Amino acid sequence: MSLSDMELDFHSDVVLRDRLVTNYLYRQLSADLVDALESHYLECNECYQEMRGTELLIRGLAEPILERKQVNDVTVIRFTESSQLLAASLELAELTKAIRLENDTKVLIDLSKVSRIDSTGLGVLMNCYCHAVKNSGALKLLHPEASVKHVLNVTKIDSVLQTFEDETDAIRSFDRLQASS
Amino acid sequence: MQFSDEEIEQLRPRVRFKVCYEVGFLCPDVDDIVQETLTRFFIAAKDDKVRNTSALGAFLNGICRNVISEYRRRALRDEPVPETVPEPAGKGLQDADLFEMRDAIASGMEQLSLRDRRILRAYYLEEKSKEEILKVTGMTDENFRVVLCRAKERFRNIYLEQTKHRGL
Repeated sequence: MSLSDMELDFHSDVVLRDRLVTNYLYRQLSADLVDALESHYLECNECYQEMRGTELLIRGLAEPILERKQVNDVTVIRFTESSQLLAASLELAELTKAIRLENDTKVLIDLSKVSRIDSTGLGVLMNCYCHAVKNSGALKLLHPEASVKHVLNVTKIDSVLQTFEDETDAIRSFDRLQASS
Repeated sequence: MQFSDEEIEQLRPRVRFKVCYEVGFLCPDVDDIVQETLTRFFIAAKDDKVRNTSALGAFLNGICRNVISEYRRRALRDEPVPETVPEPAGKGLQDADLFEMRDAIASGMEQLSLRDRRILRAYYLEEKSKEEILKVTGMTDENFRVVLCRAKERFRNIYLEQTKHRGL
């Protein structure tokens, strides 16, 4: 993208302006474009406010949707907001990343905020389960909502993935796993 | 060339943001750099040294860049040379003012629907292209623009509201 393109489209194309502003905030613009954008927003109130608004929006979005806590050697993962584990959900990628990249082997996933799950979501849970088992661990579920529980039951996945209603019981069950192995 | 008090007050936060972006948001000398930049700019404007009045932003940006360069040279001269080169200003967002606004940001996020939040997260944080998002979500280009503009409008208002309260 050249400077002249930017000058032409800066106010007329909302998405292009947004991309420039976001890249500026992430420090991913070339020096020429930084210079041009700064010269522009120093005299353009609209673009300056747009940039500060975008900054706030990104800050808000950056709050994690998955929260992790460690209880003894068990990692408890919960969703901080109402979520769906569907093929198009971003949460699936987050969940896979949270479990596979962190190398957690004893994992308890709190599903109380998950309202829907489909075959892709189940596949991701099973993948994470296999990853944990391969590393001599386990993956269990906590507080699934009625609709999710029904899917787990119909697909018989609940016979593989243990499900608990109480967090303390769930954590204790990992100790039993260790004792039996 | 003369500026009204209102115009001067509008310029200050913009220059401050540019300075913070360059020297880091935690630099203790930010306000001095901003003041020096504005002083030079207004003196130049008063003395009619601005040749191209349609490019005032570029002129102000140039002055600001010079003041920052002088500040860096002075800082290097006055302080012993560090053994390790300091990290450049960090990537991403780190303005302390943003931390102060966290409650307003959280309330703004609550006003976004779950679907909008997912789309915006994919766009801003996962750096997915507009085309990829349209494909996955089945949205039209127009819908996407509406989601983007609506969210940005909301957060721009939050910013304006917060700056009014805090006098930033």
